[in-house]
Amino acid sequence: MAKKLMKGCEAIGEAAIQAGCRLFFGYPITPQNEIPEYMSARLPQVGGTFVQAESEVAAINMLYGAAGAGCRAFTSSSSPGISLMMEGISYIAGAELPVVLVNIMRGGPGLGGILPSQSDYFQATKGGGHGDYRLLVLAPSTVQEAADLMIDAFDMADQYRNPVMILGDGLIGQMMEPVEFKRGIKPEDLPHKSWATTGAKGRKPNIINSLHLNPEELERHNWDLYKKYQQMQKEVRHDTYNTGENVDVLIVAYGTVARIARTAIDSLTPKGHKVGLFRPITLYPFPSEALIAAAQKAKKVLVAELSTGQMVEDVRSHIAHLRPVDFYGRAGGMVMGAEELADRVEKLIAG
Amino acid sequence: MPKPIIEKDRCKGCELCISACPEKVLALSQEINAKGYFFPVIVQPDACTGCRYCLIMCPDTAIQVENKGKTTARSVALTQKPFSYCPGCTHGVIHRLVAEAIEGLGVQDRTVGIAPVGCSVLAYEFFACDMQQASHGRAMAVATGIKRGRPDLTVFTYQGDGDLASIGMAETVHAANRGEKITVIFVNNAIYGMTGGQMAPTTLPGQVASTCPTGRDVKLAGYPIRVVELLKELKTPAYLTRVSVHDPKAILAAKKSIRKAFEYQLKGTCFSLVEVLSTCPTNWGQTPKEACDWLKDNMIPYYPIREFKIPEAEEGDAHVQ
Amino acid sequence: MYNEIVMAGFGGQGVLLIGKLLAYAGMKSGLEVTWMPSYGPEMRGGTCNCTVVLSDRQIGSPISQHPHGLIVLNLPSLDKFENSVRKDGVIIVNTSLINRMPHRTDITAVPVPSNEVALEAGSNKAANMVALGAFLGATGLLEMTSIREVLEETFAAKPKLISINHACLSKGYEIGLARKPAQAAQ
Ligand SMILES: Cc1ncc(C[n+]2csc(CCOP(=O)(O)OP(=O)(O)O)c2C)c(N)n1
Repeated sequence: MAKKLMKGCEAIGEAAIQAGCRLFFGYPITPQNEIPEYMSARLPQVGGTFVQAESEVAAINMLYGAAGAGCRAFTSSSSPGISLMMEGISYIAGAELPVVLVNIMRGGPGLGGILPSQSDYFQATKGGGHGDYRLLVLAPSTVQEAADLMIDAFDMADQYRNPVMILGDGLIGQMMEPVEFKRGIKPEDLPHKSWATTGAKGRKPNIINSLHLNPEELERHNWDLYKKYQQMQKEVRHDTYNTGENVDVLIVAYGTVARIARTAIDSLTPKGHKVGLFRPITLYPFPSEALIAAAQKAKKVLVAELSTGQMVEDVRSHIAHLRPVDFYGRAGGMVMGAEELADRVEKLIAG
Repeated sequence: MPKPIIEKDRCKGCELCISACPEKVLALSQEINAKGYFFPVIVQPDACTGCRYCLIMCPDTAIQVENKGKTTARSVALTQKPFSYCPGCTHGVIHRLVAEAIEGLGVQDRTVGIAPVGCSVLAYEFFACDMQQASHGRAMAVATGIKRGRPDLTVFTYQGDGDLASIGMAETVHAANRGEKITVIFVNNAIYGMTGGQMAPTTLPGQVASTCPTGRDVKLAGYPIRVVELLKELKTPAYLTRVSVHDPKAILAAKKSIRKAFEYQLKGTCFSLVEVLSTCPTNWGQTPKEACDWLKDNMIPYYPIREFKIPEAEEGDAHVQ
Repeated sequence: MYNEIVMAGFGGQGVLLIGKLLAYAGMKSGLEVTWMPSYGPEMRGGTCNCTVVLSDRQIGSPISQHPHGLIVLNLPSLDKFENSVRKDGVIIVNTSLINRMPHRTDITAVPVPSNEVALEAGSNKAANMVALGAFLGATGLLEMTSIREVLEETFAAKPKLISINHACLSKGYEIGLARKPAQAAQ
């Protein structure tokens, strides 16, 4: 397929179609309305179904039902809507259902604003809903990567029977970039899900459930989940820029901020500053080993986020004993400019 | 001689005053105001009869009328802040009616309003009384908390169709069924305005919206919900009525109903809800005047304008008379 | 080659569209491109802008603190963005609706009566095309043929509009070309 100029949201929608997904449940919210809008037009063309749910609470439970019935399905929302879905996400994690969730983050807390933000990092990577569970969290930084990760997300969800979240922000969702769909999956080619409630003809009934009243059984379930999350560690992904040699400063950033950091680095290099970028692509599992290796080749580390400091806690927990970790954040929908970030790096180098 | 007084910098050039004037007193100016809009000017001063239709129709409270030495005034229950709505959006008209009811009943200093999530999310900037901002759909739950905690307050919610009838439907049904003594202003514009024109639970069959690009298909999305008809099946006494703001006469009737809804609350009678049929020129893709006509021709046939339920005590009274 | 361009005006003046055309034409010319709109409720009747980045290598930030080029269709946009433009940058000023020229002297300002020019060409909607043409004339950033190609694709469903938009682009191009600064020739 030739390259097309698409908004991040539209590319995410098309990627779901390419992944063989034929079901979407969701509720409008800025800045991701283009996803339900795209699906409402596109799904009927491929024999799929779009449902505008009455709320995010309903949407996530529709997703539970569809995934439990063995269908590829996804939902998308933005921060306040994702908060409403939390109970359902916890049920989905408990019942071990493969679903894909998209959060195009905006500034909070509360109604907050609608501009780009990364302030749902804790919610996405540390649970969010109740109970001992984890999501696989993928953070694209280009429209192409959003599309690619979206397709991978469906496969990962099926492989681990676990919810996978694409964590973007208003900028990733609203920006247009060229995108190419390299991989197309037909729904009929998807593997059969023997555990799904497809009708018990010729087999024992399947139950989709997260209730375990017996504490011993529930504990066993919790440890089984834990083992699964350990296995998921092998999905870690990261990217680096300009880290070939020893650097004065290593910027650690994901998503939108990572690309701003590239521009900042390009402006610092001609000035003789050696600055590299470490970009986690999976936020859970967190690419800690690679981060430690990269940090060891840096004098100082600067974590940059569109929040008052969330991922920086994970970074510190892995490398605070090795290198000084500084933080630069903008919040509430304010997006740092490349020059602003470069200034900050120069100050850090100057000491 | 009566005459309209136009505060030109409040105007957004929607021209609803011009089409509302039965005597063609007004026309659009050649110059633009500070906001960049063409505003109305008086072209036939002698024709003005003082009917106030221009004032009644104006969604931006940009017009007052001088007659027999007296001049109308903007309600003090509104702040001075210009409404943030699109040109010709009738949210502004409904704001004025609510403010006039609050002012008229003298309860401004013991009223608490609840702003929803929707285009009217900034209502807390426009009503000059205490306000709380609620999460999407939960305004009536918030109102319940306020009213139960401080029963002496006059509590109203102001909600769109997505807020009240989609995500907030459970709160709506239960607040009504508990008979919360609150007043609900329900603005039905058959679309999600704030988020850019998605399908609402009240979008008409066949009506195009951004999440039903080929028109609402009732086989997939069901028929639009008639909220007052639905609530009227509840036994708990309530005042349930539907009004519209597409023309000056309808607005005058709406004004009476909104005032009544507040009066019932003051009497401690019951839950009261006024559904107001409203326009969304931007997302309907129409001019403000076309939108008013579209409302009249398409919404009113599906959403009949009348009182659906009045408190039982009064039904009794009506019998005696 | 690396260029950040901001386009700004009232909602409805079509700044998002000319941004898309620019980005799309850049993509067809083999460049990396990004297009980033301002979004949100401020768009309702208010001002609206977008940023396009064109580059021959992977693009980092899709937003710009100091653009190389600025196209402004109304006065609030000139007020807002004038000072952000990089030294030696180009500002296209729609003089039909803007009653002043930039105060800056370290940039090239190109006055373009876009609305009048578009009206002469027979359209009351294509002032944005005139401004885009002027920008391309003054900067030589992309070949006109690439813009013309994407214009035809974009308006494929409304063939009647194609010729008038071509005309507006050309008229703007001539105005811009006449003002092309020496250093923008690169
Ligand atoms: C939990 C949550 N979901 C979704 C949204 C996004 N949202 C904001 S306003 C709105 C609907 C607005 O429609 P309506 O209630 O009909 O009011 P209108 O804007 O038309 O006046 C939605 C879905 C939100 N803010 N919070």
